[in-house]
Amino acid sequence: MTEALKPEREADVVEAVLAARHAGTKLDIVGGGSKAGLGRPRAEARRLSSSALSGIVFYAPAEMTLCAGAGATIAAIEAAVAEHGQTLPFEPMRPHALWGAGGEPTLGGMVATNLAGPRRPSAGAVRDGVLGLKLVNGLGEPIRCGGRVMKNVTGLDLVKLNCGAHGTLGVLTEATIKLAPRPETETTLVMAGLGEPKAVEAMTRGLGSPFGVTGAAWLAPGMGRDFSRTLMRIEGFAESIDDRVGRFAALIGEFGEVSRLSGEDSSTLWRSVRDAEFIAEPRDRAVWRVNLAPSRAGSFVAALGATSLAHFLDWGGGLVWVATAASEAAASTVRRAVASAKGHATLMRAPDSLRAAVEVFEPPSALGLTLSRRLKQSFDPDGVLNFGRMYDGV
Amino acid sequence: MSHIAFPRLDETIIARRAAIVGRLAAILPPECLIADESGRRAFETDALTAYRRLPLAVVLPRSTEEVARVLRLCRDEMVNVVPRGAGTSLSGGAIPQEDAVVITLTKMSRILEVNLADRYARVEAGVTNLAISEAVGAEGFFYAPDPSSQLACTIGGNIGMNSGGAHCLKYGVTTNNLLGVRLVTLDGEILDIGGEAMDAPGYDLLGLVCGSEGQLGIVTEAIVRLIPLPEGARPVLFGFDTVEDASQCVAAIIGAGIVPVAMEYMDKLAIRICEDFAHAGYPLDVEAMLIIEVEGSDAEMGAMLARIGAIAKAHNVRTARESMSAMESAQIWKGRKSAFGATGRVADYICMDGTVPTGRLPEALQRTGEICASFGLRVANVFHAGDGNMHPLILYNINDEAERVKAEEAGAAVLEMCVELGGCLTGEHGVGVEKRELMPRQFSDVELKQQKRVRAAFDPDGRLNPAKVFPLGERAA
Amino acid sequence: MQTQFAPEALGDPHVRELEGILRSCVHCGFCTATCPTYVTQGDERDSPRGRIYLIKDLLETGRKIEAEDVWPIDHCLSCLSCMTTCPSGVDYRRLIDNARVRIEETYRRPLAHRVLRSLLVRLIPSRAAFRAALRLAQLGRLFKPALGAVPVIGPKLDAMLALAPMSLPPPGPAEKPGVYPAASAAGPRRRMALLGGCAEAVLAPHIHKATIRLLNRAGIDIVVAEGEGCCGSLAHHMGVEERALAQARADIDAWTREIEGEGLEAIVVTASGCGATIKDYGYMLRDDPAYVGKAARVADLARDVSEVAAELDLDYKAPRRLAVAYHAACSLQHAQKIVDPPKALLRRAGFDVRSIPEAHLCCGSAGTYNMLQPDIARALRDRKIANIARVKPDVIAAGNIGCIQQIGSAAKTPVVHTVELLDWASGGPAPAGLG
Repeated sequence: MTEALKPEREADVVEAVLAARHAGTKLDIVGGGSKAGLGRPRAEARRLSSSALSGIVFYAPAEMTLCAGAGATIAAIEAAVAEHGQTLPFEPMRPHALWGAGGEPTLGGMVATNLAGPRRPSAGAVRDGVLGLKLVNGLGEPIRCGGRVMKNVTGLDLVKLNCGAHGTLGVLTEATIKLAPRPETETTLVMAGLGEPKAVEAMTRGLGSPFGVTGAAWLAPGMGRDFSRTLMRIEGFAESIDDRVGRFAALIGEFGEVSRLSGEDSSTLWRSVRDAEFIAEPRDRAVWRVNLAPSRAGSFVAALGATSLAHFLDWGGGLVWVATAASEAAASTVRRAVASAKGHATLMRAPDSLRAAVEVFEPPSALGLTLSRRLKQSFDPDGVLNFGRMYDGV
Repeated sequence: MSHIAFPRLDETIIARRAAIVGRLAAILPPECLIADESGRRAFETDALTAYRRLPLAVVLPRSTEEVARVLRLCRDEMVNVVPRGAGTSLSGGAIPQEDAVVITLTKMSRILEVNLADRYARVEAGVTNLAISEAVGAEGFFYAPDPSSQLACTIGGNIGMNSGGAHCLKYGVTTNNLLGVRLVTLDGEILDIGGEAMDAPGYDLLGLVCGSEGQLGIVTEAIVRLIPLPEGARPVLFGFDTVEDASQCVAAIIGAGIVPVAMEYMDKLAIRICEDFAHAGYPLDVEAMLIIEVEGSDAEMGAMLARIGAIAKAHNVRTARESMSAMESAQIWKGRKSAFGATGRVADYICMDGTVPTGRLPEALQRTGEICASFGLRVANVFHAGDGNMHPLILYNINDEAERVKAEEAGAAVLEMCVELGGCLTGEHGVGVEKRELMPRQFSDVELKQQKRVRAAFDPDGRLNPAKVFPLGERAA
Repeated sequence: MQTQFAPEALGDPHVRELEGILRSCVHCGFCTATCPTYVTQGDERDSPRGRIYLIKDLLETGRKIEAEDVWPIDHCLSCLSCMTTCPSGVDYRRLIDNARVRIEETYRRPLAHRVLRSLLVRLIPSRAAFRAALRLAQLGRLFKPALGAVPVIGPKLDAMLALAPMSLPPPGPAEKPGVYPAASAAGPRRRMALLGGCAEAVLAPHIHKATIRLLNRAGIDIVVAEGEGCCGSLAHHMGVEERALAQARADIDAWTREIEGEGLEAIVVTASGCGATIKDYGYMLRDDPAYVGKAARVADLARDVSEVAAELDLDYKAPRRLAVAYHAACSLQHAQKIVDPPKALLRRAGFDVRSIPEAHLCCGSAGTYNMLQPDIARALRDRKIANIARVKPDVIAAGNIGCIQQIGSAAKTPVVHTVELLDWASGGPAPAGLG
């Protein structure tokens, strides 16, 4: 296996793609390689890592905008913007808990996988915070999409198309993202022992309230405590948060006793939710990430029955993390239950063999798949980039 | 003689007009098909009225199935199609041509489902933007993107253009508030993209369709996000003696980590125009005014306004007036949202729509004034200061051909300046026909070809809205 | 918008005026959002913007008017909701009025339509003829199915029959001209004229009685002028302008006699549709040098009864705190721009006043519209009634006879004129149905 390519400039990426096209070979695009276990298993391909495209190109705190190479680590970016009291609003998931691979998560990987954390319902997903991209498509052409301003409807939105495309349309070399002020303080309201249906009801009440709930999760018994925990987070300026928290606590008081966490206790807990720590172990289990309307979470979990070995809710019930046996039978059950719940599911972690045997990403409709193929063709007709990462033959 | 070209017409289609209309009449009831000239004329333009083209026929479908049947017929007949919402586009997005059929969704105006627990509404594409918020307001929710034309524009049109509005500073634009669409392709196939759940799976076709200006298919239904109404919202008017002070104040507020719900800028001429219509109590003697809205509880609003007030003071603010009642707030916003129409009392105008990084605002305003002055034209500035999305209203006399050409050239120069300053050609009105030939200023040839290949994945022959977005090149008449 | 009038055409001041109005429209489409026909039909041609565009084309080209040009104009209710919404200040009223006249003068309608329209414009404005017709209509109910089957105009005849009242009240003050004096009071006597008019006088003379009681109570003598009658609204809205102007002149003459005689402080109008027209007399007769001054003076004196009532020195105390759904007649809220005073008055009087959702939308009465365009009128009426039901009122109050008839024809709740409630709250009798 020839050694990995590590381009340091866009021109190097262009060269690598052209060479692969010419030779009829495939490229396996990675950032830090921290999410290597995500997607359909890698076909025989030469690894191309963007980790050397790592500098911060510009950072304009007064415009809350930052542009960096795709190989810049999330850690480096967070550190840089924290100095100006800013943060990535969408709380990108860190991969270590779930996949345990080495490697640092990068900006490119974050954009390519679009895995936003607990704040997603209020702050948007990763794709909502990407203002512009530079990439090299499968023809070896450098393409700029978007720009550095939020209000931008010039031409087709290829930025969105490349977010969450798992590197199948282009090698990301640079991304411009929208930042948000880092909340001055945070407080999490915790209710112990609520059953799942009541918890969803409480979280629905919270997310439908004007108090600015920016996180709503439910942890099953055994996830850090013997009892279930329903968590709701409120963030903001110190002078306004106490009042809001007080009135919010009164609003949900009928569901049970409310205790509070703040500061580091609160943020540590939400990081665990963000990174799916609570179902990462044991590591031989398959892990699914399921999106659906919160009111369907209950019936979805019921339909899974014993197939679910562990699960917890985020996004007020709109995101369900499930651990199952790493078997095709379990996968079928999950797919059936997700379809009934009108949601969609991604097999986030499983042994290569399972990921080769079942659909990893939610199977599109026939027309959806046709369009996906055509779009792939329009960027990468020779199938050079992460071929087969999302669907067979795409 | 018009300044913006249209594609060469397909004379064979025009020659077959009667047959095509006959085939449409066979599948549509009379109230859903307009073939007479007088009726078609009502659809020959939108809000970019300097350009008018009579369509072949106009179809007003009542259902997704009807849209699918019509599109299939158009594909079979090789007729171009121009989708239309309420026809309020400022960039000519709904302007047809003689070899095209207009398909307008204004008869599909039902709200299909409101789900407050899961916080979404499912609506037909002809529902107006404001109607969604009005339907859920009593329950404490609203639909956030609020283009100034929200009273009249349809959600289908909003999706086509990825419309914004004043409150997008905090809540995002249409694409950030959309959960799903039902799209009908030119082949008459129906594709449901997304749904009730967040983050549609696979390639972000939802993000691609939003802002695609009707070139990928026709959206007949949409699922949009509902947001809880804040406890209270209050706009404050800040008056400044210089444009620099006002625009630097904007940058300072953002830099301080404060994200107001909206930050709107109006210059002296715009203030006078809007005040004449809305009588909102705008200060008439300042050079620039900011409307800044905060939301939350009374205590929170007070705290945020205190911080904002301090920053404004540091930037030499001269007048500050806080709204004291819901009615006053409504008047303040009515004035701002009617700006374009109210300008019609004073003169004809073209409304530009470029974005610049907020840090470059003072420079952008300065140069906009210089550009318009160099063409001998007045300009009124009204815009979304918080995200740098400018709307210079270039005043001219539409009945004077020479002036119109000058106004368009001034507008083009302003947009090129926006790109030069690191911004873009259009922030929310879309490319339409208006900015089509400026696209090479922002994108390379390779990049435009990539976009066109994406478009061709949906519409290989380019029949949907053929005169829009991409430079005509050799297609020009 | 851009206009393309021939320079010679612009030599005519009327054309110049219309061109100026057309120029002020920027085609923004805001008007479509609040137009009753657009909101129910979803068709650009049935919107103010579409009608303005059509009128522009007709005026610029001077072309022959065809059937497809006529129905969009006929569908317009002249509610003027669009003018309230328009940010550019387009004077749509002048455009639509002009279009109606041009159609009436140059377009030959089908025979049945011509007969029907001719009947309406002759019948209703004449109190005697109208009364006779209504008596006939009561008989005609027996023949409803047959009449409804008449080709072309069957539905319109049906609609007319449906609107005819079950019983006719005896003639009221409008048909007995003279002075209705206040109880004697100290100081100079205050004197106001009351428009007797046509339809309201025949259908609901109790409104005039309530008005006279109310104003007498405040120390004002009411004069029903000799020789006054229909204000001309009906003919005007059908484009039969010469007849409308003749009726206007007759009323102007009648009131001028009073003005120049014992004097008049105001001309009180209880039917807001008429009030809107009378306030416009100065414009309507701008080309008649013999009348323009007198017309303007009369227009200046015209007041809606709610405007007058708001300034009276009376104690109001509602006998019962009823929930009143206040229906804002288009001619009051959009044409005369009287929006809050009637509601404020009713509140002051102690009623629980509730605004109706979609208050800006017409109820579908619009003069003879509910007879000439029965389908749209019915759709609007039903929408209005559904909206009213949402606020659960004990009574519905309106300031125009047309609305009262239209809403009353289908509402389960009593519909009264605003002035009846004010009369009751200041010592008068309870309105019918509220005793």
